[in-house]
Amino acid sequence: MTHSVAMAWRLTRRELRGGIKGFRIFLACLILGVAAIAAVGSVREALRAGLSSQGAVLLGGDASVSFTYRFAEDSELELLTDTAEVLSAIADFRSMIVVGDERALTQVKAVDDAYPLYGRAELDPPMPLATALDGSNGQPGIVLDDLLIDRLGLQIGDTLTVGEVPFVLMAELVSEPDNATAGFGLGPRSILRRSALEGSSLLSEGTLFDSHYRMRLTTGGIDQAFAELMPKLEANGARWQDARNGAPGMRRLIDRLGAFLVLVGLAGLAVGGVGISAAIRSYLDEKTGTIAILRALGAERRVIFLTYFLQIGILTLVGLALGVALGALIPVVMVPMIAQSLPISAELTLYPGPLAEATLYGVLAALLFTLWPLARTEEVKAADLFRDAALGSNRLPRPLFIGLCVGILALLVWVAAKLSGMEALAMWSFIGLGGAFATLVLTGIAVRFAARWLGHRKLLRRVPTMRMAFTAVGGPGGEAGAVVLSLGLGLAVLAAVGQIDNNLRGSISRDLPDVAPSFFVVDIQPDQIDAVKDRLESDPFVSRIDTAPMLRGIITKINDRPAREVAGGHWVVQGDRGLTYSAQPTRTTVVDGEWWPEDYQGPPQISFAAEEAREMGIGIGDKLTINILGRDITGDITSLREVDFSQAGMGFVLTMNPSALAGAPHSYIATIYSEKEGEAAILRDLGNAHPNITLISVRDAITQITGLMGQVAAAITYGALATLVTGFVVLMGAAAAGERARTYEAAILKTLGATRAGILLNFAIRSAVLGAAAGVVAVAAGGVAGWAVTHYIMEESFVFDLPNALAIVMGGVFATVIAGMLFAFRPLSTKPARVLRARE
Amino acid sequence: MTTPVLSLRDVRLTLGNNAGRTEILKGIDLNVTAGETLGLTGPSGSGKSSLLMLMGGLDRATGGSVKALGEDLGSMNEDQLARFRRDHMGVVFQSFHLIPTMTALENVATPLELAGNSDAFELATQELEAVGLAHRLHHYPSQMSGGEQQRVALARAAAPRPEILLADEPTGNLDGTTGAAIMDLLFGLRDRHGSTLILVTHAPELAERCDRIVHIQDGQLA
Repeated sequence: MTHSVAMAWRLTRRELRGGIKGFRIFLACLILGVAAIAAVGSVREALRAGLSSQGAVLLGGDASVSFTYRFAEDSELELLTDTAEVLSAIADFRSMIVVGDERALTQVKAVDDAYPLYGRAELDPPMPLATALDGSNGQPGIVLDDLLIDRLGLQIGDTLTVGEVPFVLMAELVSEPDNATAGFGLGPRSILRRSALEGSSLLSEGTLFDSHYRMRLTTGGIDQAFAELMPKLEANGARWQDARNGAPGMRRLIDRLGAFLVLVGLAGLAVGGVGISAAIRSYLDEKTGTIAILRALGAERRVIFLTYFLQIGILTLVGLALGVALGALIPVVMVPMIAQSLPISAELTLYPGPLAEATLYGVLAALLFTLWPLARTEEVKAADLFRDAALGSNRLPRPLFIGLCVGILALLVWVAAKLSGMEALAMWSFIGLGGAFATLVLTGIAVRFAARWLGHRKLLRRVPTMRMAFTAVGGPGGEAGAVVLSLGLGLAVLAAVGQIDNNLRGSISRDLPDVAPSFFVVDIQPDQIDAVKDRLESDPFVSRIDTAPMLRGIITKINDRPAREVAGGHWVVQGDRGLTYSAQPTRTTVVDGEWWPEDYQGPPQISFAAEEAREMGIGIGDKLTINILGRDITGDITSLREVDFSQAGMGFVLTMNPSALAGAPHSYIATIYSEKEGEAAILRDLGNAHPNITLISVRDAITQITGLMGQVAAAITYGALATLVTGFVVLMGAAAAGERARTYEAAILKTLGATRAGILLNFAIRSAVLGAAAGVVAVAAGGVAGWAVTHYIMEESFVFDLPNALAIVMGGVFATVIAGMLFAFRPLSTKPARVLRARE
Repeated sequence: MTTPVLSLRDVRLTLGNNAGRTEILKGIDLNVTAGETLGLTGPSGSGKSSLLMLMGGLDRATGGSVKALGEDLGSMNEDQLARFRRDHMGVVFQSFHLIPTMTALENVATPLELAGNSDAFELATQELEAVGLAHRLHHYPSQMSGGEQQRVALARAAAPRPEILLADEPTGNLDGTTGAAIMDLLFGLRDRHGSTLILVTHAPELAERCDRIVHIQDGQLA
């Protein structure tokens, strides 16, 4: 054994003296695949590290306790003050800023003097936030996001009102330290001092706001604070967050997107794997003579295998090292670009974890795609010296190698599933890739048969160039299989990403009903609702108004057991939910049970959304305890209703009988369906008459959400670019591999009288045929993958994006023709005699 | 005096690379008349095949002039040369040089198609029948023996009825019996079509079937 290894090593060194010419495609594919995965992982780690180290800044404190629609009661406040070293209380809510007749929606942060506990707000002109909020000339100050300043045409020093309270604009808010925790805000940010709102109705009982109590704690005090506070406050509806996971939404987004992009990277590595395999096969084909000579000289097949295994192993190490180095460098360029659209600063350094992950994927992929062709070196016999033998035989390698390949593939799938944390998606990705791979192989065969059949038809004999192109595609030794596979797999990944991208971007606007409301109106006080209705009912542009009382509550118990224990992680029990009361079922259908009588005065009854009840495993007769503004209300589910949340109108999971809730402080919400022409007047009239209420333009909200979806889709598309580049490299490899055959063919055709233009056209037709075939299969495979991701992961309806599909097919044709043309130069320029005599 | 079909004046060919330059042909003067059969003989490396390639416009002389049917091949570009071969020449090689992705019939039809002949496949079929390959029309080169492949190559060269037929050691890769059969076919085709035949061979007995033998030694006519 030792002798075999030593001998193989000596032979390896001699072979490598010839340089790495035959391995350029191999190295390019490996480097690109590994670099893409390493880069995605490194960017993800840099952002995660940024999140971790800035946890307290992003959260606004070491820990935060939040309430919905209420401030802490005196006893709760006392508890919080005792626990924290410093306590800062803020309120977060939506409101309207009014300047003359102009008004704009804003997300207001009403702060106290202690804000911010960590970090600082950057203002323009530069000044301390406290100074800005002090205001001037006896008026309180406010700072605004530049979007608001632009939209309202404001200058520093101008006066504006929030609700009915006047403020003076002191500065533009350039950045706030804790903006990653607020979640998705529908309006640009404004900051003002909460004390300035005292006496206004903006934060009165029943209006929609969140209160956050941020705490600065002594070192290591997070656990202690949690233990002291939450057992007493949780039942009151308090929510806890601490700096160890300061921005959980952001972290989840980064983790999910990172994992998804690693899977896209793995698809790129699979595309590269086709190139790797083809490059190794082509290299070993050329070495058949050398191997036969070595066999004739007495080399055992083990020595032969080891010789080429070592060669490829060394080059794999080179490829991995270069790929990892490139992957580690890419974040230096990418992170500043990404950080611009994120509220966190990433920490740029070397992260060994993602680099090791990329290396592991690279090793497994290289092994998987090289072992099969390498195993065929064992088949070469000394007698092949006397025959025109090549490694291209269709015999399978020894069972040992087949077993090894299957094992490596299984390991690769398992590693991807574990490391991505998205096991089902990883599994399905591999199944999808495998399906696309098999389909493309079969397509390659089918294209050959079809081209051969067409090439032999009498019809094509009238068009010799076309006839020759088709017979070349269909004839023996044609490149159909290699090109369709190498291009098709890359295009399939792109097509899938394209379909996902389109569905992600279009999911919001597409799922809206034909007639969506123009406005959501919140914070309508009970004494205002009739006036609001009067204004709208007399408006000829308004076709419909829906109003409902609105409270928020948290389902804390189901049948006296903690709700989260019973319903797991279902979204309905994860936070506070809107609930309403109604004497009659309006715009809904009771599908099970009985709605309460109109004048019902008995114990609380609940009507629950049917689909959500089914998902949570609850039904008629189950008892729910709901914490509303700190008070528990317990009632039985007596009916189930159909609620369609996709209709952009009002939808409440929970409705109760009026007498159960009517006494609780609450506001009203309304949806207004209006012609576009009437919207401006509604905004103005309602805003002027009721400064405290907030109108949210559905159109603006859709634009904003669509923009956010677009950013996520763009990230995925950028991630797929590595796959596109790899696919093109593989295609170039396939074109390069066919260059010799085409040079020979061109020499014969020239001898027979073909012009260079005719030969070029012949080559272009074949490229186009193969590119189109690869494109069509890619679109089909990508469409299926896109549908699966959209339907099962995004849980959205899928719409096939035809323009994208056509672009992929055209792109396939274009890429193949370009690659074919690039490698047509030598066949066309070489003199026939040189080529033909070299073959004598 | 008959105008020569091929006329070579002081033809020189020097090939070179970084390792050095080699003079292959050192000033060849030669005329070939219409309908003549000429045997080019000489030892390996003497330059006879190179000379044939220059006659066919498959390579360019580095000195002197090569004229075919009165046209100076040196003044033509690659496409003009290709069209000239299409219209006037047929070439047979030692290694057959059939297009591997085409059947026998398609290989023979190709030069006729390139010439715009609407009966290309009918003529190709007749030509293959003439060389005894009626049963191999739809076979690919890889499915045929060497002798069969060379017969296809002969049919392909002869099908457009060229004025000039160039044959570079057409039996070099074949056994004696097969080679003899091929030569019979070659001369038969030549007789049938009245082409001028230039045959490169190092076998004296084959050269002797030609009207005239020219011997090349070290790049010069001996």
